[in-house]
Amino acid sequence: MKLLKVENVSMIFGGLTAVKEFNLELNQGEIVALIGPNGAGKTTAFNVITGVYTPTIGHISYKGKEITGQRPDQITKLGIARTFQNIRLFKELSVLDNVLIANHLHLKSNFLEATFKLPRYRREEKEILEKSLNLLEKVGLQDAQGEKASSLPYGKQRRLEIARALATNPAILLLDEPAAGMNPKETDDLTEFIRQIRDEFQLSIFMIEHHMQVVMGISDRICVFDYGVTIAEGNPYEIQNNQKVIEAYLGVAEDYA
Amino acid sequence: MKQKKTLLTVITIFVLFALVYLADQTLDPYKMRILNLCAIYVVLGLSMNLINGFTGLFSLGHAGFMAVGAYTTAILTMPDVVKGQNFFMAPMMKPLDTAHVPFFLALLISGILAGVVGYLIGAPALRLRGDYLAIATLGFAEIIRVVFTNMQSVTNGALGLKGIPVSANIWWTFGVALVTVLVIGSLINSSYGRAFKAIREDEIAAESMGINLFKHKVLAFTIGAFFAGIGGGLLGSLLGTIDPLMFRFFLTFNVLLIIILGGMGSITGTIISAFIITIGGELLRFLDESMTIGNLVIPGISGMRMVVFSALLMIVVLFFNRGIMGTKELSWDSFFNKFSKKPLAKGGNKQ
Amino acid sequence: MMNLNAVFQYFTNGMDLGTFLQHLTNGISLGSLYALVAIGYTMVYGTLRLINFAHGDVFMMTTYFAFYGVSTFMLPWYVSFILAVILTGALGMLLEKGAYRPLRNAPKISIMISAIGASFLLENLAVVLFGGRPKAFPSVKVLTDSVQFGSVSIQKLTFVIPIVTIIFLFGLLYLLNHTKTGMAMRAVAKDYETAGIMGVNVNLTISQTFAIGSMLAAVGGIMWGLKFPQIAPLMGVMPGLKAFIAAVIGGIGNIKGAVIGGFILGIGEIMIVAFLPSLSGYRDAFAFVFLIVILLFKPTGITGEKIAEKV
Ligand SMILES: Nc1ncnc2c1ncn2[C@@H]1O[C@H](COP(=O)(O)OP(=O)(O)OP(=O)(O)O)[C@@H](O)[C@H]1O
Ligand SMILES: [Mg+2]
Repeated sequence: MKLLKVENVSMIFGGLTAVKEFNLELNQGEIVALIGPNGAGKTTAFNVITGVYTPTIGHISYKGKEITGQRPDQITKLGIARTFQNIRLFKELSVLDNVLIANHLHLKSNFLEATFKLPRYRREEKEILEKSLNLLEKVGLQDAQGEKASSLPYGKQRRLEIARALATNPAILLLDEPAAGMNPKETDDLTEFIRQIRDEFQLSIFMIEHHMQVVMGISDRICVFDYGVTIAEGNPYEIQNNQKVIEAYLGVAEDYA
Repeated sequence: MKQKKTLLTVITIFVLFALVYLADQTLDPYKMRILNLCAIYVVLGLSMNLINGFTGLFSLGHAGFMAVGAYTTAILTMPDVVKGQNFFMAPMMKPLDTAHVPFFLALLISGILAGVVGYLIGAPALRLRGDYLAIATLGFAEIIRVVFTNMQSVTNGALGLKGIPVSANIWWTFGVALVTVLVIGSLINSSYGRAFKAIREDEIAAESMGINLFKHKVLAFTIGAFFAGIGGGLLGSLLGTIDPLMFRFFLTFNVLLIIILGGMGSITGTIISAFIITIGGELLRFLDESMTIGNLVIPGISGMRMVVFSALLMIVVLFFNRGIMGTKELSWDSFFNKFSKKPLAKGGNKQ
Repeated sequence: MMNLNAVFQYFTNGMDLGTFLQHLTNGISLGSLYALVAIGYTMVYGTLRLINFAHGDVFMMTTYFAFYGVSTFMLPWYVSFILAVILTGALGMLLEKGAYRPLRNAPKISIMISAIGASFLLENLAVVLFGGRPKAFPSVKVLTDSVQFGSVSIQKLTFVIPIVTIIFLFGLLYLLNHTKTGMAMRAVAKDYETAGIMGVNVNLTISQTFAIGSMLAAVGGIMWGLKFPQIAPLMGVMPGLKAFIAAVIGGIGNIKGAVIGGFILGIGEIMIVAFLPSLSGYRDAFAFVFLIVILLFKPTGITGEKIAEKV
């Protein structure tokens, strides 16, 4: 089934067309990568899908229902979670709190039940705590739960951000450059980790990534952006041999390969 | 462990009230009044900290909510005769001139009305951020004040209200302060409190985690206004007189000073600082009064106290901008750790 | 003329043309004063993204400088006024250096609280130094005399104020657009980090911005003192807030916008009271209501455009 459908989406800032006529279909269980040079409009495409920006033109639907123009929190609630390119954790809060917060959206108790710790809230809080501890264990952060998020080393912060996104119970996970700043060993681990969470949480993953090693290793399909325009789409083999892609990357290719 | 901590908390509360009883027996009315003020400022400080410190909304409208609470309590507790004496310019509006409720109910209604006003202000204003929110809330508070100055038949206008029954005693003020600490503390340590802090840390990330920004901001704002209304009601009842000029921006500034000094986002910090600022403010009164040292008479400089006060705020902001506690809390955990030097095994939030 | 007046009265609920013009000129001169103060807010906001809460108090200090110049130091009024403007410029620079510069990289909320603190400090210092009771601002006959127009007499000041405002506005625009200092100011306002890298002396330029903004407020303060000749330590609060509102209405950061906002506010305030005298008690609330309406429907002011935050 088509989980996510992006139709003919353009995002224009003043005179700058950051994304132009973007189309995407994401199926259950797929991993699709979005690549392209710096400033190509990749993050903007994420922002449009997650409701941070409303597209200037075009439509986005999720499970057949139109979601264009909805707020980010509404879209997350429907089942699309994300991470950020420039990690946006709740820095001053503990690692555990970061994950707990991401459970709040499904809380049924109202603020009075929560304040006066009524039975329903106590039950929910207990569930949330168990689930969060579980998630932290899965990403290997169980020992750091009491630490301040900003005190974690970079790689762990990235993992925490993924754990936090998973806590919202998404069907689709959008990852914005998850391997940025990682060494080859960490990158390998991450590739494995992404595959693992895809299977375990039955996710579809749409990710922006510059590390070709990651992209080529796990993507079912790849989209290539250049100046906001989709210049190619296909499986890793097709993309590697696509003339336009090679041209767009010429000169910068070495940095990313 | 958890039970032990609860026990300790209960014991502390008992000790506190024993001290209050002792104070009630031994201290003179002037000192009692200062203690009352301390407790009221705890309520006001916490209510503002919920909005500004925990949720990160820069609101400067607190005096407005306090005005709503103070006038409500005053109107609902003043005897008819006193109302008649007050409203000599224009008679008081019909059902209000004979309206009466017990003090407790008056405080509750004050809180609810202030909360309603908070909601009505918050719903439009909270679409704004940062300085714009600050200015808009300041504007709303100023509008409330102007409206109160002009509603002659309800508020007695610029003349204010005199002879408000002084129902607020030390038990009331400390009782309300305790309830406020417990309620706001419990809210902050719930899932809603975590959502508030997430908004403070990073609005965009919070929204991407499914937190409805607007709903939670309005919630924090309304609850803050509720407690500010109750604090305002207590204040009016303690002082016995209120008028619109009392609720100028300066009052908001006073509360702001408390949460800045205590730490934006710390309950225990707010409590400590409410006492420091209130008592400190009284101690500084000597600056305004003339002093005699031996044969030397140093004339007091009226207004000097306020200069020192504002300079103090500047110093805190410039040099210790996290205040006494920052976003930390004094808790049994931190207390035990001080003594046992064990590393914090399990962090998370204290209960 | 009679006829015109009749038509006019028909549309204005019986207010005659002469009275209307009197209100209008009053509104324009009040608006000019707001405009002069608003420019300072807008310049500082444009540069540091900071609401300089103490700006209204800087304006208050000017009137005391001018007052003491004339009354204690027996200076001729024009010397005293010029000195007051210069002193105010220095005060503005001192304010920036003491209260804002140390916090330039601190969280925004800290800077704003520092601004509020500075404002209260100035007010309370004024109470201590100058006394809490209002003082009478020196009157300058050549400016405060009235001239007769048919049946209405209007203070000369009513014309002097807008003219002075316009002169200073053009002076400022010239400075900003045609001098090196002005260019540096615009560069710093656009992005002070980049401007610094490009070799602009950022600290100096910010200092100059404060000096100029404060001096314009000083000019406004002196004319305010002439028009409403009672000065007091808290006199800057309301004009300051209203001027800030004017700056927001005009689109904060935009100088011409601030001037337009000042006029809209000044004229609006006078006209509301003139046409709806029953609301005169709400005069001070008018500006805030206006502010809130603007913020809600056009938060970047009437001249600004919406900017999406980058994520
Ligand atoms: N809110 C905004 N307002 C104006 N322009 C924007 C905004 N957001 C992004 N842009 C512009 O859109 C273009 C695409 O930016 P985007 O961040 O999407 O690129 P990207 O492909 O993610 O690049 P990178 O690899 O560096 O992360 C850039 O020129 C950027 O400056
Ligand atoms: Mg990007």
